[in-house]
Amino acid sequence: MDWSPPSRRSASRREQNLALIGAVVSGAVIAVGVLMLLIDRVNPDQGSRLRGAALDVVTPVWSAVRAPVDGLARMNGDISDYFDAIDKNRALGLELQASRAAAQRAGALAAENRQLRGLLKVVEPQVRLVATARLAGASSGGALRSAVISAGSLDGVRPGQPVRAGNGLIGRTLETGGHASRVLLLTDPASRVPIIVERTGQAALVMGTNSPQVEVRDRIGDDVPLRVGDRLVTSGDGGIFPPGVPVAIVSRVAEPPLARLLADPHGVGLVSVETAYLPVPPPPAEAPATPVPREAGGGRVKPAAPLPPPG
Amino acid sequence: MSADYRLRSPADRLRWLVASWRAIVPAATILVLLFLMTVPIVLPWPALPQLGLLGVFVWATFQPGLMPPYVAFVLGLVADLLFGLPFGVEALLFALTALFVRIFERRFGHHRFGFDWGVAALVAVAHGVLGWWFLGLAGVDGPLRPLLLQALTTTAAYPLVVLLCARLQRSWLA
Repeated sequence: MDWSPPSRRSASRREQNLALIGAVVSGAVIAVGVLMLLIDRVNPDQGSRLRGAALDVVTPVWSAVRAPVDGLARMNGDISDYFDAIDKNRALGLELQASRAAAQRAGALAAENRQLRGLLKVVEPQVRLVATARLAGASSGGALRSAVISAGSLDGVRPGQPVRAGNGLIGRTLETGGHASRVLLLTDPASRVPIIVERTGQAALVMGTNSPQVEVRDRIGDDVPLRVGDRLVTSGDGGIFPPGVPVAIVSRVAEPPLARLLADPHGVGLVSVETAYLPVPPPPAEAPATPVPREAGGGRVKPAAPLPPPG
Repeated sequence: MSADYRLRSPADRLRWLVASWRAIVPAATILVLLFLMTVPIVLPWPALPQLGLLGVFVWATFQPGLMPPYVAFVLGLVADLLFGLPFGVEALLFALTALFVRIFERRFGHHRFGFDWGVAALVAVAHGVLGWWFLGLAGVDGPLRPLLLQALTTTAAYPLVVLLCARLQRSWLA
């Protein structure tokens, strides 16, 4: 033969090469993934901008999707309100009587409190309402217990601000996009809220466990036992949550004590974001350590005169 | 562009482009599934099935060429963004799932639906355990049990995802 037969190997070789490149890229990608996890460990805030942008993409869609559902729910509420009007009116009248009496007592107490604080020159931090927003997303499919609300940095929301509903604390903001932000819920294992037990005044921490109930940790004064039904309210320590916001009710006193959250995010429609109670100022820039020149002793200090022996 | 492409008529080129456009169907399905998982239902535990993982698993069996580990990795990064997880957790898990399916299929070939369901259940449990471990590596510690609960719901959702992907496969990729 004066010509070589057509090579059938080139096609299969090409395929082999492609498979090899694919395998190498896959391996490289997995190595990069492991590296990313280690970087996360060192720098947990990486890519927070990107995360915010992702929230901005997802939130408007869910807001639009849930709009008709919300409308229907409201209409349903309107209709039942119409039929229940008389009963509700009577009940509200009775409640108003009781509340008025309570409000008068509270007013007197508040005035007294103001007076006493004035005497002691107490400086009260000002907590301002930043935004009121709707829940527009959640991460019920991931390991992080978080919700997405439809207010972001353009509305003044910053990371580390308390989020509350009418009946209790929801969590705190974690990262913000332009029009949406992620809220770390109290049920997340990373969430810690400084609280006091209302009945006894003991300080403790409420910690999420990735389940419906939260754990009460590090209670000061273990000798006074908790009781089922004790209310836990924020203490104001830590600088994010203002004092006195209801958090949970103790549901189990055996170790570890558990508590049921008061604000169930499942039923929550609107939540409000407030400014942090006492925002922690950024750490001061440390002065660079100047090396001591060799001529000055290389940093070694001349031993001081020996102290006189004790006693 | 190969010489192949230059030798084609415009109509052929268009057909070729359309055909290659269809290659994004698996990835697009998984993106939609991931978006569905951000539904504003706040639950105290991770009870929603990990639909993205199922999508990667099913597409890696149906179309191994269109769901290589590096594509799964990028989809996992999107999942990390959407669920607020440390970067790389779901990315690594998705990539490992695609890799596992690829190796497993090459070794053992195709099987009945019930067997695949069992393998998917194992993958879901491995996803929970490995995910818990990766989260620990990334500095996020938490209990393992809720993640295993999610493995149960994920297993239960498997037939639905297979149904969806099979329908897409028939209408777009057959």
